[in-house]
Amino acid sequence: MIYERPVFRTLGDTALNLEFGDETSIPLNFRILGMDAAIHQSPPKGIIETNPQVRALGIVYDPLSVSRNYLIGALSEFIEAGSEVDKLASRRLTIPALYDDPWSSECAEAFGVRNNMDFIAEFNDMTVAQVIEAHTGCDYWVTGVGFVPGAFMSYAMDPKLRIGAPLYRTPRTWTHSRLLNFGGTTSTIYPMRVPGGGQLFGRTPLNIFEPEQKNAAFRDSPVLAKAGDRHRYIAIMRDEYDDIRAQVETGAYDYAIEEDTFDCDGYLAWLEEQGEPLEKHDPDATWDQTDSAIRGPA
Amino acid sequence: MLEVLNGGLHTTVQDMGRRGVMSLGIPPSGAQDGFALRVGNLLVGNPPGGPLILGNDPGSAGLEITLGRMKLRAERDQLIALTGADLGTTIDAEPAPLWQAIMLKAGQVLACGMAKLGARGYLAVRGGIDVPLYLGSRATHVNGKFGGVEGRILKAGDRLAVGPSSSDSAALVGRRLRADLMPAYTPPWQVRVVPGPEAHLFTDASVERFYATAWKLNPKSDRTGMRLMGPKLEFKPGRPRYLVEDAGTDPSNIVIDPGAPVGTIQVPSGVEPIVLGVDSPTIGGYARIGTVITIDMAHIGQARPMEIVRFVEISYRDSVAALCAQETLITAENIVD
Repeated sequence: MIYERPVFRTLGDTALNLEFGDETSIPLNFRILGMDAAIHQSPPKGIIETNPQVRALGIVYDPLSVSRNYLIGALSEFIEAGSEVDKLASRRLTIPALYDDPWSSECAEAFGVRNNMDFIAEFNDMTVAQVIEAHTGCDYWVTGVGFVPGAFMSYAMDPKLRIGAPLYRTPRTWTHSRLLNFGGTTSTIYPMRVPGGGQLFGRTPLNIFEPEQKNAAFRDSPVLAKAGDRHRYIAIMRDEYDDIRAQVETGAYDYAIEEDTFDCDGYLAWLEEQGEPLEKHDPDATWDQTDSAIRGPA
Repeated sequence: MLEVLNGGLHTTVQDMGRRGVMSLGIPPSGAQDGFALRVGNLLVGNPPGGPLILGNDPGSAGLEITLGRMKLRAERDQLIALTGADLGTTIDAEPAPLWQAIMLKAGQVLACGMAKLGARGYLAVRGGIDVPLYLGSRATHVNGKFGGVEGRILKAGDRLAVGPSSSDSAALVGRRLRADLMPAYTPPWQVRVVPGPEAHLFTDASVERFYATAWKLNPKSDRTGMRLMGPKLEFKPGRPRYLVEDAGTDPSNIVIDPGAPVGTIQVPSGVEPIVLGVDSPTIGGYARIGTVITIDMAHIGQARPMEIVRFVEISYRDSVAALCAQETLITAENIVD
């Protein structure tokens, strides 16, 4: 659900979350990113950093310089100013990937589970070729960056092409770096060798985290993805994969990144035409998601 | 230069961490017991930096020595201070005092034993450990492979450069922390918790159980998360069905949202609450029953495997008052000759 009024949640003595709803939703994320951009334009006193995610904006502040009440008041002014977002700055990145790759298969074998791509195909009632067609068939919206350095959460922008698969019941103790994976409908890439429970289905030759920042794409930050980016995947063959990887390792690869603005209004209208509900409801649910929270203005 | 003869079990270069990079998925890192490192730096006349992730200044870098066994030799005279856990540290086989500025003379060997009280010892050195700043801090993030010495734990053969210092170090020898401010580091550990952000999703009986239980620290704990063994906690019924697809099948699964910099207490499947540490993930996907207050991250960071940890509920107002009170203590006035 999307709350009637956004709520503030307390995370100890240094952080607040401004939460707009409890569901996964790109339209909800537009409001979070719009709010984040407005805050960065005229930041209230005491804010140390913000961390936008799919349904909530994380705010870290200095309690030695401002009170929580002051901050809630200041942030409420942003909420009252309106949270409808027409347009957002949004880069478009092309990410080549080798689908159904040997490294994903190796991980599955090492942990005694079946080939994850076969499982994903079966779970979505598709062939492997159809999974690849769906994943390369529309843009993915990056709702937020996080978990480990450089990891991100992204979702298919065309609801008809939205596929996924549930996380492993018991996470692997390691995963090769740069593997594409699904956790539910969240599509992401492991930036480095990490434990994880995502269903693996491909590998990109690109770095999505480059701590040494040698490529021009990492000049401003060691992390490739930004909240509000759109990713478009293209399927490549093994020789192309090896060729791109070699260029990435020397720092010479030319990452395809287009600076752009995204028409959020237009997208919402298109979603409605597709018959996509803009909010999820469960009439039987009794969890009060706004209980014990500090309510924002109406 | 300090020459590492033995890296020990898990020794890293740490300052008070990096800030402003959570939205890149990068945690603050830094000392798990910020009080100990900051006091160590004050003792040797270094900038102590702000409390965890607050303040512009990460302070000087020192060593965080987990459980012990680290050994190093000074190439020239260095003013140092050992704070935090009692690792049974010796200098040329003589016991070295804690919470006091001491001179490690050229050629002397400093050797840590195994932790007797607490889990993490700190070594501050006048001038600070001089490794390159990465995103504004010298703190090591081992999983991300950046900061500190090549983003990793120390090993034999590492040579640690020490930054420049202005005044005469010898004059500072013997300075110590006011005796009544020295932490005791004895279990059971009392850790204060501000309720929320998802405390309302747990049954009332489970919230009560959480604060009533003598939890035991799981040996698998580290700077990413400290796991507590004890009874299962239950969630209220009535979870929206769409969360199965959006977040997962377990009642503890919530749709991803930002975590606090550190200290949130996730309870995956209601089993083994995890207090997220300074190297923790920057987002959360499990219901959190509360958040450990900033200054008490130092306490839980000193608990050793199987020691008892008790959570004590504190109001938001009191948590800020506690932070303010500690800030007035970490000052040069509380360092005595």
